[in-house]
Amino acid sequence: MTDAVYDGEDAPRGGFGQPALLPEAGAAGAPLTAVVAVMGFLATLALAGALIVAGAAAQWTADLTGALTVQVTNGDPDEISRQTEAALRILNETPGVAKAEARDRAATAALLEPWLGSNLPDTLPVPSLIEVDLAPDAAADMALLRTRLSAAAPDASVDDHKVWNNKLLKFSTALQWTAAAVVVLVFAAMAATVVFAARAGLAANHEIVDVLHLIGAEDQFIAAQVQRHFFFLGLKGAFIGLAGAAAILYALSSGGQGGYFLPAGALTPQTWATLLIAPAAACLLTTLTARATVLKALSSRL
Amino acid sequence: MIVQFNQVGLRYDDQPETLSDVSMTVREGDFRFLTGPSGAGKTSLLRLIYLAQRPTRGLITLFGRDVTAAPRGELPPLRRRVGVVFQDFRLLDHLTAFENVALPLKIAGVNPKRYREDVMELLTWVGLGDRMEAKPPTLSGGEKQRVAIARAVVAKPDLIIADEPTGNVDPEMGARIMRLFLELNKLGAAVLIATHDHGLVQRFKKPLFRLQSGRLSAHVPKPQERAPFYPRAAEGGAA
Repeated sequence: MTDAVYDGEDAPRGGFGQPALLPEAGAAGAPLTAVVAVMGFLATLALAGALIVAGAAAQWTADLTGALTVQVTNGDPDEISRQTEAALRILNETPGVAKAEARDRAATAALLEPWLGSNLPDTLPVPSLIEVDLAPDAAADMALLRTRLSAAAPDASVDDHKVWNNKLLKFSTALQWTAAAVVVLVFAAMAATVVFAARAGLAANHEIVDVLHLIGAEDQFIAAQVQRHFFFLGLKGAFIGLAGAAAILYALSSGGQGGYFLPAGALTPQTWATLLIAPAAACLLTTLTARATVLKALSSRL
Repeated sequence: MIVQFNQVGLRYDDQPETLSDVSMTVREGDFRFLTGPSGAGKTSLLRLIYLAQRPTRGLITLFGRDVTAAPRGELPPLRRRVGVVFQDFRLLDHLTAFENVALPLKIAGVNPKRYREDVMELLTWVGLGDRMEAKPPTLSGGEKQRVAIARAVVAKPDLIIADEPTGNVDPEMGARIMRLFLELNKLGAAVLIATHDHGLVQRFKKPLFRLQSGRLSAHVPKPQERAPFYPRAAEGGAA
């Protein structure tokens, strides 16, 4: 025999250093990586949007759920003062009310300043606002409270924020469904692109696939070669997309109190961790779509 | 029984039959030549044996299994028992000679550590010990042919099919390759070699199948015969 030794240095390498039996499996190559990167970017942003909206809506809902606002309006400022004091008395006697505090005239005037300007005349009957905090573990009897308030302060109205809260919930739910739809559509478009790329890869390599078949390769073996290629392609593209989306989100959330554009605390460590789902799903979808496409194509051969 | 054809016919689209009523048998330990003029249907017959296509009619059994209507999922294990030297080599251009030869073992799931030495030894035996890392586009026709032969025999198949295996090598290497086939045949592999080379057929005095216009006849040489073909049919069931 001879001293000749094969060291395999010239062998083309696929993922994990194995020879790539189908070198052109991703006929689209770099362009397909770019497509996956863009899709991963959009999916990550959509997912981030859904998470941020869900988090913000939950925060707002929590803030409003344990609070009431009582407003006293009357043409006579003295009557407003009298009814406000009566309402405060009723509120402080009501079980389940943790705290009831009337805004002073200056604070209420500040709220009206954008519309009426400063230096309101003393004769102007400014409504009185009472902010009420409810005890978290004791449910106040709202019907009884309304009855007692209307008796003691007939010009007082109670706002438990339910209307606003329900609208907010509907809006945030709609936004989350929209984001979910965007994610689904992005992944559907990506899957369709991968199907075309996998078919193109098989077509470009039909001679190699023929040889593999004729020397006894199972469909699973050939599909594994293709899916390995697409796995690494998907992994690369998905994390490029994630990096781009993360940069955008970081820029939006930094630079000020809670960020210029995003609510304070919108991007928690849990949110960042959850965002990893998008590239992982993109990579998995790329791999499985390529595998399914190849197996389907091979099933039509002898 | 390795291969059995029974009244096999093959037709491409609406063309006349490429193979008609072909009946033949290749048994364990057989060494056969397949001869015939160009266009006689040799390659089509070989394609039926290595399961590249199914016949239009008739029955084919391979290793005792009816492959005429076998589900495609049952075919890969049968294909792995057949080593094929294609006339056009069909090497994978992006792989090295070593990786091309190792391919059947890789497909069979053998650990690379177990076959590395065997593949190197086989490549050295066919004179390519210093070309293991070369890729097919840089190999000569003869070198490609030797890589193709090494790939066909590396997994020690039960049946070796070779389409013009000595067509691109010099006489010395041709004789060496034939000795390899004979050695593998002695070790139990059945061998079927399609060739135009009458000198080769005469030199090795092995039974031959002759294809003429899609019809097959079988001949067994007499020990003293040195004629280009053999006149007496002796294969039962041959057309």
